[in-house]
Amino acid sequence: MIPRTAPTGPGEALAAALTAEYAAIWAYGVIGVRLADAARAAARTAEAAHRARRDALILQLSSGGGQVPADRAGYALPYPVTDRVSALKLAVEVEERTAGFWRAALPHTTGADRNRALAALTDCALRATRWRRTAGVTPLTVPFPGRPV
Amino acid sequence: MLRAGALVVVGGAAVPLTGCDLFDRNDNKPPPPDPLEPLAAESAALAARHRAAIAADPGLADRLTPIADAHQAHADELRRVIGRPAPTGAPAGTPGPSGAADPADPLNGLREAERAGRDNAAKACAAAPAERAAPLGSIAAARATHVEALK
Repeated sequence: MIPRTAPTGPGEALAAALTAEYAAIWAYGVIGVRLADAARAAARTAEAAHRARRDALILQLSSGGGQVPADRAGYALPYPVTDRVSALKLAVEVEERTAGFWRAALPHTTGADRNRALAALTDCALRATRWRRTAGVTPLTVPFPGRPV
Repeated sequence: MLRAGALVVVGGAAVPLTGCDLFDRNDNKPPPPDPLEPLAAESAALAARHRAAIAADPGLADRLTPIADAHQAHADELRRVIGRPAPTGAPAGTPGPSGAADPADPLNGLREAERAGRDNAAKACAAAPAERAAPLGSIAAARATHVEALK
């Protein structure tokens, strides 16, 4: 769920966040087809937000001369996503997982980079809360979004 | 005239430097308060505020108890990060969370307080040394989710 090994520098931390964004975008493709109406629209909006983070990270990492990890053709799902319930469960987990990578980037960044990482962490946490509400899961919040458990 | 005036000002400014401060270090002085003390006090105040709202309307308990518990957990975590006990004496610097209580819509005031708290935690995260950035980021994000959960 949450990154197991702590990154050792800003490049590594942001590259790890990029791999999380790739996986989130891929997962929303699986999630979206199991949802309808407002929930499907919310999945599309969430996917677009992750694409925007991905694009900003690729730009930032490549202009900084750092390693830009490549996307993969597919990602392993923790369980089969076959219906609305499993799709919403995965959506919550994807957001919590991605929040963990952005949280891990905070100690390795300063200034505008840290503010961006915090904005990304906060957005993931907000989407996780909204997905819990859609799924009827309570409580809607966790005490420390993105913290390894 | 100008010279004389300037000399008076310089002389006045020099007064505090002349006493015993410069050479007699007072080692009994308490260390300056940690910059996270206001945030820790705010977490405790937010927890108290949610508990007061539950006491006034027990129907809100299911919704507000997890949020009150989160603020208490934040206060405990900030205490751990600060690494020393809460300052003794009256918590003079405790900022009461902003957002007036609104009897017609108790959640409205709580939302306002969470919004202000989110901004305070985000500022603290931006200014923090590396080892404090992650817990402060989680606290800022949690307060943002409280605003959402109170909608």
